[in-house]
Amino acid sequence: MNRYLLAAGAILVLGTNAAFAHITLETQEAAVGSTYKAVLRVPHGCDGKATTAVRVQIPEGVIAVKPMPKPGWTLQTKKGKYEKSYQLYGQAVTDGVKEVEFTGGNLPDEFYDEFVFRATLTADLPVGQKLYFPVVQECGDAAERWIEIPAAGQDEDALENPAPGIKLTPKK
Amino acid sequence: MASKGIGWAAGGLLAVLMALIVLASANQAFAHAALIKTDPADGAVLAQAPAQFSLTFSEPVSPLVLTLVKPDGTPVPLTSFRLTDQTVEIDNPQVLKSGTHVLSWRVISADGHPVGGSLLFSVGAPSEPPAVSEAVDWPLRSAIWIGKVFLYIGLFLGVGGVSALAWLAGPGRAGQRFVSAAILCGLVAAPLSLGFQGLDALGAPLSHLAQPVIWRTGLGTSFGWTVLIALIALGLGLLSLAGPRWAARPFALAGLAGVGVALAASGHASAAEPQWLTRPLVFVHGVGIAFWAGALIPLGLALKRQKAGAVAFLRRFSWTIMPVVAVLAAAGIVLAVIQVQTPAALVNTAYGRLLLVKLALLVFLFTLAAVNRWKLTTSAEAGATEVQRRLTRSIGVEMLIVLAIFGIAAGWRFTPPPRALAIAAAQPVSIHIHALQAMADLSITPGHAGAVAASMIIMTGDFGPLDAKEVTLVLSKPDSGIEPLKRAATKPGDGSWRVDNLVIPVPGRWTVRIDILVSDFEMVKIEAPVDIRP
Repeated sequence: MNRYLLAAGAILVLGTNAAFAHITLETQEAAVGSTYKAVLRVPHGCDGKATTAVRVQIPEGVIAVKPMPKPGWTLQTKKGKYEKSYQLYGQAVTDGVKEVEFTGGNLPDEFYDEFVFRATLTADLPVGQKLYFPVVQECGDAAERWIEIPAAGQDEDALENPAPGIKLTPKK
Repeated sequence: MASKGIGWAAGGLLAVLMALIVLASANQAFAHAALIKTDPADGAVLAQAPAQFSLTFSEPVSPLVLTLVKPDGTPVPLTSFRLTDQTVEIDNPQVLKSGTHVLSWRVISADGHPVGGSLLFSVGAPSEPPAVSEAVDWPLRSAIWIGKVFLYIGLFLGVGGVSALAWLAGPGRAGQRFVSAAILCGLVAAPLSLGFQGLDALGAPLSHLAQPVIWRTGLGTSFGWTVLIALIALGLGLLSLAGPRWAARPFALAGLAGVGVALAASGHASAAEPQWLTRPLVFVHGVGIAFWAGALIPLGLALKRQKAGAVAFLRRFSWTIMPVVAVLAAAGIVLAVIQVQTPAALVNTAYGRLLLVKLALLVFLFTLAAVNRWKLTTSAEAGATEVQRRLTRSIGVEMLIVLAIFGIAAGWRFTPPPRALAIAAAQPVSIHIHALQAMADLSITPGHAGAVAASMIIMTGDFGPLDAKEVTLVLSKPDSGIEPLKRAATKPGDGSWRVDNLVIPVPGRWTVRIDILVSDFEMVKIEAPVDIRP
């Protein structure tokens, strides 16, 4: 019995470590129809190289995106049309930020940093499912793409470069 | 005098005609065909029975026998098929029950030699595969071999003997009876060989020899041409023997040309590239053998029987034989180099080993011939009877060696030359990976373990163009304990993606995955198994 517990513990620790190597979001659950503070955790560079840019794609259904400026990094957003119109404080919103870019920085492989933005998760998002924020991590010429989204029925742990995601919970 | 001129003209015309046949058929010949792609793939497990099968070869082929063996072992002949370029598309006539099926195929490639194989696929779930025998039919093999040897005797000793009698022997004409017998041998062996070829092509046993389809099939292969032209050459030989005296020489010459053309019409050496070189070389080689070997028996008999003019015969033979043998040997050496390619193949392949045995016999033969030519001929010409007797014995031994060489050469019928083996080994393995979001045509060249290059055409799921930002090839073989090989592909600019300098360490079933970066944030991964040859 003890041996099983030990094995389970080992898997848990190893599993956590594996997850820690990826770019992840600090808060892994959020209610639809709420404001969400996304904290992207960047644990390392690309194969030892220093990170120089972090770009995040904003999925459909996430509006009113406001990134938090970061000293030493140039902050830019790319705007575009949403697929449909969303209500925000009684007003119709049809376009907004689709991509957030932190560029021009230098985060050595041995240091850790976080990149932050706030956004509104619209009430139309499917409760119980996961919402993914694909991230491209650039290190000069090299890049790591944390953009893999599991297909239906696919195990997320099997992915090499999973996109960070959160679980959507019912509206409070 | 006028009739003699007509005979010359007729003989010359025939020779030109035959040369034209050789040239006309030159560009349709290739090497052994190799299977490069099948649908369904070998070992595939399908959800439902396919409506059709397809087999793609390295060159155009014609199907001879296509059979589907059902899981319970019952064979179903597949008769409805179409040829498009190198692909044979075969209709599946019936609904297949679940279980493992065998699609057995037998096709003929341009060198006239049949090739066959089978692929396994399962509907629903795999079951115990039905037994399909691919045993060698030894009685048929022996018959083919004996037929070939006798055809050689007819062509080389018969037609060659006729030409020696007509051109070198003078009035003596010793050995006429032997030469006639050799031609008759050839006349019997040629059609029989055609039937054996038909049996081999269809994979049928000797007992089916009487069936018309066997003969039609045999005639349809390039060996059919060899037999037809050989029959013409043998007929010309008979005419030269039995016809009017003035016509003997032109008919013999035309017959000699016919021997060369018949040999150049089919076989490994004639099918090799470059065609403009190999076919004339086979022609020259064949004519040379007939000239040399054909003269041996008449000459030997003339000397033995102390015929009038035997000395003149010997003198004419020893004058002409040097350049003939030089050309014959040169043609043979070039052909051997084309066929064998590397010295190692002499030892490693059955074809090469046969060639070694033939070379050993040739060394012996050339030694004897040289002794005859330079030590015995002069004294024999001077009329020394004892030396003439020695020369006769020596010619007898030469004859036996020549027969052994015919036997070796006939054995090549069953051994693909190293050149064809190399072509087959260099064939790429190609697969088509189809997923909802993207598709890829991947070919790995050559399709065996070792240093390879991969080429990919990437398309959208509905065959549209897909301008990928990056493509990465990942090869893995989980059962081998080898870490996945991951290589970024480059764009050479012709619309494909390439990975060069890739080394596949072991043969077997690998999983190939292609990671296609469609846009900055979207990656499509498609994968399929691929079989790497040893």
